[in-house]
Amino acid sequence: MKLYSLSVLFKGATKANLLKAAYDLSSFSFFQRSSVQEFMTFTSALIAERTSVGTRASVKEQEYLCHVYVRNDNLSAVVISDSEYPQRVCFTLLDKVLEEFSRQVDSIDWPSGNPDTVSYKGLDIHLSKYQNPREADAMTKVQAELDETKIILHNTMESLLERGEKLDDLVSKSEHLGNQSKAFYKTVNMADSPATLNWIHAAATVSVVVFATFAGTETELLL
Amino acid sequence: MAESKEEVDVLVQRVVKDISIALKRHPNIDEIGLIQCPEALYNRSPIVLVENKLGVESWCVKFLLPYVHNKLLLYRQRKHWLDREALVDITCTLLLLNPDFTTAWNVRKELLECGALNPERDLYLSKLALTKFPKSPETWIHRRWVLQHILRQFSAVAHKTQQRVEAEQPDAERSQFLGSHLDRLIHQEMKVCSDAACRYPSNYNAWSHRIWVLQHMAKGNIKVFRDELSSVHPWVSMHVSDHIFCPSQHQSNTVHSTCPQANGELSLADAACGDRITTVFKLFYQETELCADLIQSFPGHETLWSHRRHVYYLWHHWRQDQDLCTDGRENELKPTCINEPDGSQGRNVDRHKHVSVPMEVDRVSLPDHDSKRLRRGILLPNLLTLQNEHTFVNSILNSCCNAEQNNYAVAYKKWLDTVISAQSLDI
Repeated sequence: MKLYSLSVLFKGATKANLLKAAYDLSSFSFFQRSSVQEFMTFTSALIAERTSVGTRASVKEQEYLCHVYVRNDNLSAVVISDSEYPQRVCFTLLDKVLEEFSRQVDSIDWPSGNPDTVSYKGLDIHLSKYQNPREADAMTKVQAELDETKIILHNTMESLLERGEKLDDLVSKSEHLGNQSKAFYKTVNMADSPATLNWIHAAATVSVVVFATFAGTETELLL
Repeated sequence: MAESKEEVDVLVQRVVKDISIALKRHPNIDEIGLIQCPEALYNRSPIVLVENKLGVESWCVKFLLPYVHNKLLLYRQRKHWLDREALVDITCTLLLLNPDFTTAWNVRKELLECGALNPERDLYLSKLALTKFPKSPETWIHRRWVLQHILRQFSAVAHKTQQRVEAEQPDAERSQFLGSHLDRLIHQEMKVCSDAACRYPSNYNAWSHRIWVLQHMAKGNIKVFRDELSSVHPWVSMHVSDHIFCPSQHQSNTVHSTCPQANGELSLADAACGDRITTVFKLFYQETELCADLIQSFPGHETLWSHRRHVYYLWHHWRQDQDLCTDGRENELKPTCINEPDGSQGRNVDRHKHVSVPMEVDRVSLPDHDSKRLRRGILLPNLLTLQNEHTFVNSILNSCCNAEQNNYAVAYKKWLDTVISAQSLDI
């Protein structure tokens, strides 16, 4: 069970502003990490933008789960985990991070801050500590029921979008994604069916697609 | 493609050479990867080395792979000659791009057999391939072939030593050297398997390989099995839904393998027999405890219940075998309760008292309390009874609200009733 990214954002009127983020990409292959990180930033911002103020939600995408909490003061936190990691612990983590962040960083800096100007250092430590949910959360039982606050569940990223909105467009316009990552995304979504969104899979499996194609065709021709 | 055939030839030969040089000069390379790069940007090699990771820019693959693939097949068909060095380089490049190309591994087998290639090179190459293709069946198969090749070499050396009339080196020293080499190999295999299992969930091929290594390379080596069990435990705790439950099967096999080994190692004196049985009890108990702990902490993972079935089934049958063999000696091991009279009534009450503890929020007291008793070798048989299993399942059913967990618990209960009870002589 793993946590991949933890970010704090400010949900503005039209978009979410990334204030600070921490990543653990050690389980991804080395050359994919920068793209994966960009996609995670992109996704965290998108989810924070599309989640209403004062709500918690979990968005499932392939084998990843993105958990978000947007507080009433618009300060938000997003954590991306795998599907094994217990959901309740994620929300405990988000609460904790937001509480600590709002004590250490002045609210006047939230709307316009960015990772370089914001001086909160707790994210890396929390991300690392919470890799083991039982150690991090020893006081409360991991499987205890979530409290009455409802958590909205989304089965895909696409359910966050407005009617007519396409994820492809959002990807190509995004300032969080570099050209290489956008190229990644394009390559995979041509190979797969248009309905499927494989943003992390884009980074992780495009190489498999390439090799399978070549190995397959060549063996047919030569053997 | 605008490039002419000659340009492609030159490019590919350069890339193959670059890969070979990179691997020779940087023996610390521990991972390979593909770098997304649709076009060659600068006039430079597509082989990139960063922090001990070897990357291949994607634009060159469409030239590289068909070319080397074709070359090797032509060699195989005897239409084109390649010297040994070229063969090594070409197969290396091929396998880093497509490790399921059996022909390439077979060419390397031939090179190994005639001594032109060191087996360690292939262990290294397959390890690199697995960082990118952790499931690749052909790579695992080749790895086992290489290990068997090495083992044959070992036994040839050991055999020669025995045949020598006057040994230049004392036998003990040589076998110690071989022994530590073997240990190092086993340790390396375990690392490769667990890396591959982390990279790809439910990696059946990796776990099968791990089991194979233990069965073929660690015969009679209790320490290896013990280390295995203790290293797999934390892994399983962090990968509770690794669904092929190979880790759990692996654990069960390891526990099981440790039992007959214990048989062979210790004498048949009563005291030693008691020790052996205690050791096995401890192992089963620890497995069951770990399983219970994970089931309660992470509700709704079928793998954990499957594992419990596996462990209990093994324990149940092992116990029955022991009952048949020891006939009566078991009486000496019957537990005595510290504070209560020796009647079976007292024991029953005590058993329930212990089993009721897991239902409390704070289970810390149970392991400590029982671990003291474990050390004294008493009470153990009563901790792994059918009745306790039922109590455990009931406690889960009473306390959990997770629908899946409920289903798994009910299924487990059914299994206990139908399979275990039916097979019991008497519990």
